[in-house]
Amino acid sequence: MRRTMLYLPGNNPNMLTRGYLFGADGLVLDLEDSVSVNEKDSARILVREILKRGAFGECEVTVRINGLDTAFWRDDVAAIVPHGVHGVRVPKVESVGTIKALDEELSSVESAASLPAGVTKIFCLLETALGVWRAYDIASASPRVTAIIPGGEDLTADLRTNRSASGVELEWTRRMLIVAARAAGVDALDTVYPRITDDEGLRREAEFIKQLGYDGKSVIHPNQIPIVHEVFTPSEAEIEKARKIVSAAKDATRRGLGAISVDGRMVDLPVVRRAEFTLARAGITDNEQRGQEK
Amino acid sequence: MTIRDNARTAQAGTLESMDCLVTVTESTGERQIEISGAAVSRFAGAMTKKVNQVLDELEGKTEAKSVVVSVQDNGALDIVLGARVEAAYLRLVGGGAS
Repeated sequence: MRRTMLYLPGNNPNMLTRGYLFGADGLVLDLEDSVSVNEKDSARILVREILKRGAFGECEVTVRINGLDTAFWRDDVAAIVPHGVHGVRVPKVESVGTIKALDEELSSVESAASLPAGVTKIFCLLETALGVWRAYDIASASPRVTAIIPGGEDLTADLRTNRSASGVELEWTRRMLIVAARAAGVDALDTVYPRITDDEGLRREAEFIKQLGYDGKSVIHPNQIPIVHEVFTPSEAEIEKARKIVSAAKDATRRGLGAISVDGRMVDLPVVRRAEFTLARAGITDNEQRGQEK
Repeated sequence: MTIRDNARTAQAGTLESMDCLVTVTESTGERQIEISGAAVSRFAGAMTKKVNQVLDELEGKTEAKSVVVSVQDNGALDIVLGARVEAAYLRLVGGGAS
C-alpha cells in the first residue's frame, strides 16, 4: 500500500531516524529540495548511514535523488542503492531518455553491489508541462517505473499559475496522470498538500484524488498521515460488502456459474475486481479472506 | 601546539537535536579528539571510539591527514556522529575546507 509517503529532510538526523514511527506507508528520504547545495555531500553520507542501519519498520523506503540535470545524481545513486532502498524518486522527469539513463545507472550500481537486476524501482515526479504531457511514455519507459506523481509547486510555476485552495490548476493534470498510470500499469501517487494546518482542505483533496483512482498521496507533515489514511481506508460497511462479493464470486467459479447476484444486485467481473481492490486497500490478505469464508 | 595558525578546517553537522557539529582541523602532530555536550560524561569513550574508527577507514581510502577533531554533541546517534565526521573529513581533504 502507498496511501501515504512521508518526505523526510535528508540532512535532519532527528526526522530521518524517527520518521518511520509516524505510521506512513512509505518514506521519502529527500536529497533534493530540502537540502541546500552546500550540504548535498553531508546529507548523502547521512542518508547512506541511515539506510545501512535499516530501522524503518514496515515502511517502503525511497530516496528522492537530485535531478538528472544536476551534478549530484550519480553520487546519490552510488551512495544509496547498495543499501537496501526500495526505490528512487526522481524529480522533473521530462523524457524517456531520462528514465533510460537512470535505468542504466541503477543497473550498473546494482550489478557492482551484487543486487538482483531491476530491484530498485523508479518513482517519477512529473513537474513540468512537458513531463505531464509525456506521462504515459515515461511511465512505460522501464519496468522499474512503479509510480508517477504530479508536481505541485514546480508544475504550477511551469503552468504560469500558483497553487490555490481549490487546486483547480492541477485538476486536469491529476485526471490525465491517473489515465496514464493505469494505461502503463503503474501507481498514481498525488503531490503534497502544502497547507499543513488546513486539515479540512487536505481531506477534500485526498477525497478528490481517491475518487479519481489514485493510490495515495505524498505528505510533508506527520499530522497529515491519519487524515489521508482515513480517506483511503475502506469503511467497515465497504469491507463487508467487498467480502460478500469476493466470496460469492469464488463460489460461482467453483460451481461453474457465470453471472452472480449479491444482495439482489448483479455482480460481474469489474465489480469483483473493485471488491478485491477494496480488500487489498483494507490490508486483508487472501488467507484472511479464506478464513472468513470457512 | 600542533595546529598551525593558518591551518585548514572543515565542518559538518549542526547543533540541532540528535545532531552534532564536527570540526576537523589539519594538524602537524598526533590525532586529537575533543568531545563536548550534555552526554559526554557517559558516552565520551564510545564516541571517541566511533570517531577513530571512521577516521581510520577514511585514511585508508584517501590522502591521510593528521587532524584535530572537535565534536559538539547534541544527542547524535553513533551513525550520525560517524556521518558527520566523514563529511567534515572529506571536505577537508577534498577541497571543501576554509
